[in-house]
Amino acid sequence: MASQADVDKHRVTAVLVSHNGALWLPEVVAALTSQTRPIDLITAVDTGSEDASTKLLKSARIPFFTTDRATGFGQAISLAVEKLPQSIEHEWIWLIHDDCAPAPTALAELLSAIDDRPQVVMVGPKLLGWHDRTHLLEAGISIAGNGARWTGLEPLEYDQGQHDGIHDVLSVSTAGALIRRDVFEELGGLDKNLALFRDDVDFGWRARTAGHSVIVATSAVAFHAQASATERRIIDVEGAFLHRPLHLDRRNAAYVLLANSSWWMIPWIAIQLFGSAIARAFGYLLAKLPGYASDEILAFTSLILRPGIILEARKVRKKQRFVSARVVAPFIPPRWSQLRLGTEHLLEMIRTKVFPDNNLGTDSILDSVEDEDLLTPVNTNSWLAIFKRPEVLGFLSIAIVSLANSRNRFGALVGGALPISPSGATDLWRTYFESWHEVGMGSSLATPSWVAVTAIASLAVLGKVQFLITAFFLIAPILMMWSCFNLLKKLTGNSWISIPGAFLYAISPVTIAAVSSGHIATLLLMIFVPYVALILHDWWGIETYSWRKVFAVSLLFSMLYAFTLMSFVIAFTAAISITIDNYGEYSVTKDKTVWRERVFKRSAVVFVPFLVNAPFSFEALIHPSRFLTEPGLVTPGGGPLVVLLGNPGGTGSIPLWLVSPILLILVISLFSSTHARRIAEYGLGALSLAILVGSLSVATHGNEGKAKVWAGPVLTIVTLAAVAAGTVMLDRLRQTLVLSHIHYRHVLSAILLLITGSYAVLAIGYSVTAGANSAVQANRTTVMPAFLSVETQTKILVLREITSAKEKKIQYYISRGQDISLGEPDVAPKQNVAIATAARALIDGTGITSSKTLSDYGIKYVFVKSPFDKDVIRLIDGIGGFTRTSATSLGVVWSVNQPTGRLLFVNQEGVRTALETEVLGANTSVPSAGTLILTESSNRSWQVLQNGYRLPRTNNEMGLPTFKVTEAGEISVIHDGTVRRAWLSLQVIFLVIVIVMTLPAGRRKREISEKELA
Amino acid sequence: MTFSRPLKFLAALLTVIGVSSILSVAVTTKNFSESYPLVVCPPTLDGLGSQISLSSKKTPFQKLQNRTSKTAPVKVLRLPVIKDSLVITSEGVTPVVWQSRSGSWAGGALCTGPASSQWFVGGTADVTSRGRLLIVNSGLSDAVVDVESFTENGKQALRSTKVAAKNFLVISLDSLAPGDKKLAVHVAPRSGRINAFMIDEQVKGLKALGGDLVNPVAVVSKSVVIPAIPNQFSKTSPALPHTLRVLTPGEVDATITVEVLSADGIFVPVGLNSRLISAGIVTEFQLDPKIAANFMAVRISATEPIVAAVKSTVAVKGKNDFVWSTAAPELVPLTMAITGLTPFISFTGDQINISLDVTLINGKVSRQNVKGTDIAKWRVPENARSFTIVKVGAATFAGALVSSTNGYGYFPIAAGSPLTKIEVPDSNIRVLNP
Repeated sequence: MASQADVDKHRVTAVLVSHNGALWLPEVVAALTSQTRPIDLITAVDTGSEDASTKLLKSARIPFFTTDRATGFGQAISLAVEKLPQSIEHEWIWLIHDDCAPAPTALAELLSAIDDRPQVVMVGPKLLGWHDRTHLLEAGISIAGNGARWTGLEPLEYDQGQHDGIHDVLSVSTAGALIRRDVFEELGGLDKNLALFRDDVDFGWRARTAGHSVIVATSAVAFHAQASATERRIIDVEGAFLHRPLHLDRRNAAYVLLANSSWWMIPWIAIQLFGSAIARAFGYLLAKLPGYASDEILAFTSLILRPGIILEARKVRKKQRFVSARVVAPFIPPRWSQLRLGTEHLLEMIRTKVFPDNNLGTDSILDSVEDEDLLTPVNTNSWLAIFKRPEVLGFLSIAIVSLANSRNRFGALVGGALPISPSGATDLWRTYFESWHEVGMGSSLATPSWVAVTAIASLAVLGKVQFLITAFFLIAPILMMWSCFNLLKKLTGNSWISIPGAFLYAISPVTIAAVSSGHIATLLLMIFVPYVALILHDWWGIETYSWRKVFAVSLLFSMLYAFTLMSFVIAFTAAISITIDNYGEYSVTKDKTVWRERVFKRSAVVFVPFLVNAPFSFEALIHPSRFLTEPGLVTPGGGPLVVLLGNPGGTGSIPLWLVSPILLILVISLFSSTHARRIAEYGLGALSLAILVGSLSVATHGNEGKAKVWAGPVLTIVTLAAVAAGTVMLDRLRQTLVLSHIHYRHVLSAILLLITGSYAVLAIGYSVTAGANSAVQANRTTVMPAFLSVETQTKILVLREITSAKEKKIQYYISRGQDISLGEPDVAPKQNVAIATAARALIDGTGITSSKTLSDYGIKYVFVKSPFDKDVIRLIDGIGGFTRTSATSLGVVWSVNQPTGRLLFVNQEGVRTALETEVLGANTSVPSAGTLILTESSNRSWQVLQNGYRLPRTNNEMGLPTFKVTEAGEISVIHDGTVRRAWLSLQVIFLVIVIVMTLPAGRRKREISEKELA
Repeated sequence: MTFSRPLKFLAALLTVIGVSSILSVAVTTKNFSESYPLVVCPPTLDGLGSQISLSSKKTPFQKLQNRTSKTAPVKVLRLPVIKDSLVITSEGVTPVVWQSRSGSWAGGALCTGPASSQWFVGGTADVTSRGRLLIVNSGLSDAVVDVESFTENGKQALRSTKVAAKNFLVISLDSLAPGDKKLAVHVAPRSGRINAFMIDEQVKGLKALGGDLVNPVAVVSKSVVIPAIPNQFSKTSPALPHTLRVLTPGEVDATITVEVLSADGIFVPVGLNSRLISAGIVTEFQLDPKIAANFMAVRISATEPIVAAVKSTVAVKGKNDFVWSTAAPELVPLTMAITGLTPFISFTGDQINISLDVTLINGKVSRQNVKGTDIAKWRVPENARSFTIVKVGAATFAGALVSSTNGYGYFPIAAGSPLTKIEVPDSNIRVLNP
């Protein structure tokens, strides 16, 4: 050995630190002894191993001594160095981990790299994976501003020599690092506060600021198992809280940054450390790794709470520093490169999930089809041939039909069930978050979750809600055809069957009716129900589904429930039916485990979305009619007999003579011997539910009169079942018919196809002609004239003749100066009895007290929208208490003669005056003691504050909130939204839980296979 | 393959349909409020006398200009009106107002509920005219009324006028189209509870030429029936003259054919078959049928909507008077108070078959039947307070002729205050959606 030292002037002492490393130690020892440039001296330190490490060292005849289990790596090295003979010139210490095996030429290459670089005091090899020795682990290291260990490499980067060479680096890993002994001792060795992890970066940093150089020589190679970092062994060093390596790593990273950075950088680094700890903790929570999340937070806080350690460390570094701290700046990765690498990592993860690498097949030469290639004719088809493909023809056709049908719907849509959309998403968010809705006499009902979903969706179009709704109605048939096609592809491999089937689905009666009448929820269900069918095809045996899948389905159902709770009714009914069926099986097998799992998982699918939609869904328990409604206005359905034909009926539905083949297909499929029979059973079950639902009448969403329930959402299931059953039946039947002689099946098939074809032709014809003139149209003139919107917070009784295909009816409602907009009908309150009486009396001419009643409730104007019965207008003229203020082509307006407004003040003499108020939280002043009447519906969240105190609230005989004022002065009227905020918080908690449960679970490092690691 | 399971499914579906049919009760979403609007009688102008025939002494009424809504019973069956217009809660009975200038003229009109359109075919705006248009606003808010006049010179400038709440306005007919002889007036309120009445009174110097209350018609029509026209004979001529006044208010000329119906039969007077009437021009024709009957009816069919009336010269106790017989709507069951009038009623129709209940002053009720073809007459008993049309055939029209010491009058048999069925409104937020 001495002779070797004479040759290259270096003396190398290898210091091996072992701690429960028996698994790797044999190879490490072998690697050390097989170096081409022999090591001058080998010494080892065992830090309280409990495995065979010491025996191995002994048998390898490596001198070693043992220390306490809690001894850190740096401390062990220092102890070993202390025991070495006196330092000589050109003496190097080679740090060897017990899980790091250097290649035979490693030492030679390291020494070669430093031969003509006297300034270098630390040199490290290229580290490759222990198991996958092409996996590049490190070629020099650094530390990012957020504490991340920075290698500049991509995850699992393949070593192709792309980083080869000798490079200046901030530091190298202590695994295989060659450090000049004199400098090591001069700098005090590795920091004692860094028992494990990041001690290498810290040392490199200190060496740099002491004026030395650190390089990586990639011609030297070592193979590193990273046993501590990947949790292959328990770490026992001092300060390792609960033996958690991540906690120690993060703490040490923060220590390195705070101890070595310039003073003026400390605040910024602290913010970065804390911010990234929070972000990473959030990510770990999403990945269902709460332990790691707590490591992130605790690591930083535990350090920051003990600033003395940092201050002491900074003092030491100050003494050792000979050059500016900025010398390390080139080695600290810029923020953009961290961002770029992070983004690439994320995109790669998504790509892997979305487009999994399927070419895992064998590369055997036996599988080669080179000879076949010679036989394959060259494709000489022209590009026009693409139009002969059924997919292209089908989707092109539906696009043309949808465009023609939507020709009057380019613009802000309104009509049917659809109110006008607000121009921006912020209005929707306001509607969603506000605790008090200024609709009618005011309402505190919970805004349904679909408003928030729509607001989020509008982000894709820069918050333009009107554009979103218009685009949705335009492309909905295409989307539903696409989703249905994806389902039908699973049922038949013949596109000439699946594409027409999907096309029929997209022009089904329920689609046409939903588009024409503005039923958003039905359209959404039409798009998503095929996917639900795909996911839940094994709904019967749900126990085979993972909980993650169950929650993923719950998340999808949450969105569907948000739009209509009728989807809850459907899911609940289906769950009950299947559970009864399951019970039949259970009573035979007595398999409690399966039975319980089925019940639990099915309950989760049905009820978890119900919780996610709280409080809107909870309110439906108090107002059950909400289970049968859709977003927007209530439009009546056609009743059970119309529903029987698969047509929801009502406004915008196809005429009754245009009978769809849905019922016929379902009935025929019921007698089929194929899988179509099972599908038809589901379809007929759904049809029964649709008929039952369609026979009910509800009064809700601001409509006092009862209206037949629109059964569109349930009919989506029926329609899909009919299309799917028809597809299965036709797929099998085609083969049968081709192979058999003509008999009754041929005739029946021909009749069914003829009926279906006739329906398709007539439905397309209707859709592009009369269907375009539907209730939902673009850019309609508003109901309320602009001049009535000038006075904010003004309540107006609006009377209007509503004309439908069947009748003309006088109806009324209280406006706040403008037409209703999206989301408002869903929270519209029931009409006040006194106002209803006053309005009725106004119409029949008996309303002598109507004026007084209206003024008591803060209604300032009566507006009769043209056209209207002139006799009734004359009646109102003659009733008294009203002064006609305008009569235009839009309608006639009367003002109520008595003073009124949103906030009324009655002084002690009984004189009533209207106080000036602005928006919801009104700030105004009262002239004297008296009574304050707020002309909004009674609600316990209404508060009036004066001089910082709440005024006592009672309800007057009209049910309006009344407050006793004892002195003149400023007052504030507020609606306390605490309850609403609490409910929203609960909803967010439920949602986050479901999302977390849906996301793929992260794995602890010890759970990752070594093959995956490296 | 067994069919039992499919059949069970179908049976279940049929059961659901059955249950749903029971559940699916028809949703009646309409409620109605039925009422008879208050009727308004015209005010009594200076120099005129006025009585209102009523069917019950308990009938509540109030003077137009009373500021309260309190009413009082009439206490009599024939209520003299000193000055103010009266608002009567007649509850389906149509009161008849009889106005007269002593020794000069008399005329009758119906007290009616407010109207959205009233056409008056009668009156003149030349120097002989002392006629007036009375516009009554019985509502509690001010009203704006459009008065549109037509004469032989065409359509006159629209006149819009404001009528104060619970008040009336008097407009001289000669101010509507100064100098023009043939007048037709359309009163169309833009707002308010409006009734209009027209008095046509003519003088020549100091000599009274007679007068009458001109009854309005609500709508223009292509078929007009004037059911009662007096046909008096004088010593010097076979019959006193009649003038048919016709107006086509639209933009298109109309072709009319006039039929005269009388006990002598039906015929089209010479020159009144397919006669062209210029649009917007009030046109008059002499109507001198050679008939022996002392009353007749006129039926006009036109190619465009028209309004028409017949002015008949009558003599009462040696003095000349005139009567404006105006179009009547199709007869429907109704009750009319005629206390003190003893009218002569003429029915017109292809097949006349009418049942009437006559209520006498003493409260007794007697059933009368009137049958005939084309035209029939019925004289109300002297002591009758009201009559009720109980049953009437289709396309039957009726008008009443009344002769009194002061003059001769006409009024159509029509409901002054038809049952108004107003739909009770529902609260629905849909009204705020276009």
